[in-house]
Amino acid sequence: MKNVLGILSFCFLFSVIGYGQAKKKADNETFEWRYEIEVVNTGTQGTKQVKIWTYSKKADVAMEQAKKNAVHGIIFKGMPDNGAVRGDKAMAQDPNLEVTQAEFFQEFFKDGGKYSKYVTLVNNGAIAAGDIMKIGKEFKVGVVVSVNTAGLRKDLEAAGIIKSLSNGF
Amino acid sequence: MKKIFLTTLTLLSLTIGSWGQAKKPTIMVVPSDAWCNINGYTQTFDNQGKTVVVPDYKRALQENTDLLAVISKINEMMTERGFPLKNLESALKTLESNAAEDAMTTSKSGAEQSQSPVDKLKQVAKADIIMQLTWTEVKRGPELAVDFNLQGLDAYTDKQIAAASGKGPSRMSSTAPDLLREAVLAQIDGFNIQLQSHFDDMFTNGREIILRITKFDSFDGDLESEYAGEELGALIETWVNDNTVNHRFNTTDATENMMLFEQVRIPLFDANNKPIDARGWAKGLQKYLKNTHQIEAKLKMKGLGQAQIVIGEK
Repeated sequence: MKNVLGILSFCFLFSVIGYGQAKKKADNETFEWRYEIEVVNTGTQGTKQVKIWTYSKKADVAMEQAKKNAVHGIIFKGMPDNGAVRGDKAMAQDPNLEVTQAEFFQEFFKDGGKYSKYVTLVNNGAIAAGDIMKIGKEFKVGVVVSVNTAGLRKDLEAAGIIKSLSNGF
Repeated sequence: MKKIFLTTLTLLSLTIGSWGQAKKPTIMVVPSDAWCNINGYTQTFDNQGKTVVVPDYKRALQENTDLLAVISKINEMMTERGFPLKNLESALKTLESNAAEDAMTTSKSGAEQSQSPVDKLKQVAKADIIMQLTWTEVKRGPELAVDFNLQGLDAYTDKQIAAASGKGPSRMSSTAPDLLREAVLAQIDGFNIQLQSHFDDMFTNGREIILRITKFDSFDGDLESEYAGEELGALIETWVNDNTVNHRFNTTDATENMMLFEQVRIPLFDANNKPIDARGWAKGLQKYLKNTHQIEAKLKMKGLGQAQIVIGEK
């Protein structure tokens, strides 16, 4: 009995450490912001469904990055139209915003940061068969997420990071 | 004493606070002439032998529920963005009730309200920015799609300041209002980004307006008459040059009877930090003509972005 308990505790500890390492690695790779974003669908009012293509040596690390990348992409990159689905320009119109507001965004994108309020995995993060590819030593993983763009914009406007439409009037 | 001081301070800060805000343009969603024409919401007039077709907004709003659905969705989305719009249907109803009330209003002595033909002409639903809406339903077999076009037009400079257009996805099970609402959801953010750029440009380079100068035939002289050794037209041009942001304006047309200034960039606030529009700015020119050259002039306005000075009398 004692042996079984010992083995179980060891397994639990091992998985927690493994998860922690994946998360740490995700953070390191996330801040390189190496990803591609494409619009999938016009979601319900105030949301956008996007597919995030993330690169990583480990597939599970790529999954971790997808949420942060999606919010980053909506704020700074924008996305082109995808067939009949309309893309969007970046929420931030100032190309230097990420640098001028570096402190804010570091806090915003930290683990469990405010970004996580606005993004959810679609279908619990299930990846379609063709959306995981091995390119050289890396994996390229496509994850579909839903971003609450209306809430995100309101929060950034309230924090004075981006201007609201009625700003100055 | 303390109370009076505090009240004065509060009132002062409130006044300064309200002065710090530029005059907000009004925006209204209006179906395009093309949409009204295609869907039969037009009225035809015989104007001195020439047939004129004008859109019948009232009938369109009363009969077309798809139009109501789109306008309502756009209004809702814009309100969410902190920029509530003027509603076309309400504006038309207000105009009608005001006209009826004006016709019935008399003083105790029986005097009626004054109204010139120009006053009557100006009684139309108007906004500073028109969001002009056009869509067509595209049917392919059992599938239905919507081709949607939204244009943001400055009502005074006639410039397109924002636009969003495109064909939405084809669906078998969706109705036209569903597809239209989806089109609004898909297009409005892109439209608003361009609208924001327009406002940013306005805050940086000033409000763009049009200034027209004309004269009454009772005026003894014209725009080529000389005052202090300079032609009146040239004097006006110099005043415009001195009072525009970075001296930005175009003299589009000038004759002895009229002048037209376009792309005139006026400051959003006057010297006292009070928000101004085209009328407030052109008042400066009216005062200059009277104080410096003893010329009376009438000042007319059209919303925030167009002013007209008629030289000769008031």
